[in-house]
Amino acid sequence: MKQNEFDVIILGGGITGAGTHRDCCLRGLRSLLIEKKDIATGATGRNHGLLHSGARYAVNDPESAEECIRENMILRRIAAHCVEETDGLFITLPDDDLGYQKTFVDACRKAGIDAQIIDPELARRLEPSVNPALIGAVKVPDGAVDPFRLCAANMLDAQLHGGQVRLGTEVTGFIREGDRIVGVHTVDRRTGENADYYAPVTVNAGGIWGHGIAAMAGVEVGMYPAKGALLIFAHRVNNYVINRCRKPSNADILVPGDTVCIIGTTSTRIPFEECDDVAVTPDEVDLLITEGAQLAPALSSTRILRAYAGVRPLVSADNDPTGRSISRGIVCLDHAQRDGLEGFVTITGGKLMTYRLMAEQATDAVCRMIGVYKASYTENTPIPGSQVKSYEEVAGKIWEKPSAAQKSAASRMGTRAADISEGDASVICECEEVSAAELKLAIDRLSASTLTDLRRRTRVGMGTCQGQFCACRAAGLLAEAHGCVEKERRDLADFLQERWKGNFPIGWGDTLREAEFTQWTYKHVLGL
Amino acid sequence: MRFDCVITGGGLAGLIAGISLQKEGRSTAIVSTGQNAMHFFSGTFESVKEAPARLAEIFEAAGIKVHYSAGVRLMPMGTFREAELALGDVDIFPSERFASKALIVSFRGEQGFFTGFLADGLEKAGIACRLAAIDRSSGIKKIAAAVSGLLDGEDAVVLPQVFGQKDSADVEYLREAIPAKVVFAGTQPPSVPGIRTQMQLKDYYISLGGTFLQGDEVTGAHVHDGVVHSVVTRNLDSHYLEADCFVLASGGFFSKGLLATPTSVVEPVFGLDVDYPADRSEWYDPSFAADQPYMRFGVKTDVALHPMIAGESVRNLYVAGSILGATRPEFGTGAGLAIRSAFAVVDSILKP
Repeated sequence: MKQNEFDVIILGGGITGAGTHRDCCLRGLRSLLIEKKDIATGATGRNHGLLHSGARYAVNDPESAEECIRENMILRRIAAHCVEETDGLFITLPDDDLGYQKTFVDACRKAGIDAQIIDPELARRLEPSVNPALIGAVKVPDGAVDPFRLCAANMLDAQLHGGQVRLGTEVTGFIREGDRIVGVHTVDRRTGENADYYAPVTVNAGGIWGHGIAAMAGVEVGMYPAKGALLIFAHRVNNYVINRCRKPSNADILVPGDTVCIIGTTSTRIPFEECDDVAVTPDEVDLLITEGAQLAPALSSTRILRAYAGVRPLVSADNDPTGRSISRGIVCLDHAQRDGLEGFVTITGGKLMTYRLMAEQATDAVCRMIGVYKASYTENTPIPGSQVKSYEEVAGKIWEKPSAAQKSAASRMGTRAADISEGDASVICECEEVSAAELKLAIDRLSASTLTDLRRRTRVGMGTCQGQFCACRAAGLLAEAHGCVEKERRDLADFLQERWKGNFPIGWGDTLREAEFTQWTYKHVLGL
Repeated sequence: MRFDCVITGGGLAGLIAGISLQKEGRSTAIVSTGQNAMHFFSGTFESVKEAPARLAEIFEAAGIKVHYSAGVRLMPMGTFREAELALGDVDIFPSERFASKALIVSFRGEQGFFTGFLADGLEKAGIACRLAAIDRSSGIKKIAAAVSGLLDGEDAVVLPQVFGQKDSADVEYLREAIPAKVVFAGTQPPSVPGIRTQMQLKDYYISLGGTFLQGDEVTGAHVHDGVVHSVVTRNLDSHYLEADCFVLASGGFFSKGLLATPTSVVEPVFGLDVDYPADRSEWYDPSFAADQPYMRFGVKTDVALHPMIAGESVRNLYVAGSILGATRPEFGTGAGLAIRSAFAVVDSILKP
């Protein structure tokens, strides 16, 4: 096989693409993943980070609910260092119909979700932040999942099994032989270099951008771009995921994760042209705060860290104006059967947390098409870092007396933290406790080329200071690694711009104080 | 407790007001939370040209070395900025090419001194650069000797601007002991020269008989019929601070002189009128690099720098420093705003 020939080409570096890439590599295929920007830049990195139990979909979308609970249990096993087993509550407030609770619990049980009605008093004890006015509560096995970590670990495992990745590379067209797609034309967005890659099957895992990829291939995948806005709070107010026990609506899920918690979402149809740069409006911010405070009243006085939005890659079903009633089920299209176009598969729909099953289905389709008969074994194979469940146990095995930063590294990297045991332990990001060694490893082994790439892989700049202290230090490391200061100066400016984008929609209180300090520091003191 | 004047804010504006009033025989107190914009001072005075005589007098008496010359200074990220009035730590050069070869020396393990960026900036200015790192040994003599030993034909040495916590003796010693032009480049905040300058001003203020209440915060005020009678502080609780007049120099958003909520911008102690647009979407520019509208918001004042409550001037309250935002453009910005508005307030208070 030539350098530019593969068994399969996967388009999209979100969790679906990364998972599919990994599954293909584990089944022994020569796989190439091509991503226009960076890993987890689309909906993968712009959601709640909710490890659904499936309860939210049990009543209206039982198929998704069953997928969710099954994958929920699998991810707890294979992605332990990306998952927090928090459990969740579905609360009924005085405005809600308590009668819905029974329908809800019945549907959950039918889908195989362990839903337990608990006394409101017990709910208040288990989750002190919950709205004390609640009149009903159901406990379900919800959890939290770190999508960046999950995506990076899948990508890394693919690499460890021979997979190749081209980040910052855009597909400009398909190479055809008759009614068959046999490869792609690409351009490297950083260097401008063109390259062609060949494979008997190409998988479209582009999320909402999959619509455009399919169109480029000459087939139609009717997609429905539904924007969801979310807010991150600077403190972890709750320990359980808190949901409203009613028909899914706006801003009715509060998810704890790491040191923060996230309220969301809204659901608004937007034009495809806006998918690359979605903004959160003041109305959305106000709605998220008002509705969020219904779940946990403390939110109305908690500092907000950022506002952000993602675009769900829903597959159109009808003319539902919000997209709420469209199934979150997985859609795997073999375009040979559907459109008579050979060598092309689209994998879409689904959810962050059903990515593994999506990957399995897509890889099954690939294997069928190229005549490889191997079954997936991702269900029982931990991703790199997840071999040991407790991060404290991991840290204790690597370091005699682990520091806070070393424990943090163990929680982010799992057992892979052993790779930084000898490195430079000086702390670059105090908010998230990220050391120079962890950043250097991400630059060397996880192909991070910008500060934003580093943030996705290590959480640098994600904490309360929003990059105020760490961005310039991390920029120094990147400049050294790449040997180009001028590029890094621009990268630093881009990173600060990206942080500001999420700050100004919620620019008041301490968030504005921090922003003023940051702007003062970089413009007047440091002279960027 | 009763004073002639109680000042809220121990930054540049509050200290200059306090020092000037003490020099005129007034008894004053300054309430300071402990941290202020001086702690992030770049070392050059924004929007100030030559120091006015009364400022130069204060600096000299406080032991603060400043110098004036129009030119450019080296910034921590390797860029150059125009500057005129600077602390002794900061060199102002007639042009960017201040040397032909420079040795940039950092301390090992130090993350806040951006040697790569500095080298890039100097090379662009036509100065050849070499990087070196030394261990942070104790004693200024050892540091001077270590740096001198590293020189290899360079006519300039660039060091982090972290010397002299109490006074500038170490800064001057390094300049004398190292046989090359010694240039200090700033680090990530906090700023050692800024903190030192603030402490020198504070010590001078105390030596003039001023009462400096460090680590305290004004939490409320008693205002009747447009006159402030006293202020309440967190530490003094029911022991109100009474005075004939009051100065508010509590800073901008970062220092909590101004407080933004989702629907308003308020001055939290007195509830003073603030100039800002009602529509929140006009508070920000989506571009980080742009001048931000919110930084222009400030307390409304009359000619004598009295602020207002519901449109009525508060007759014995005066406002100075960055809490004014851009409402008084004649005073400049940054350090210039602090200095000029503080002197204007002092003149207003002393006017018979």
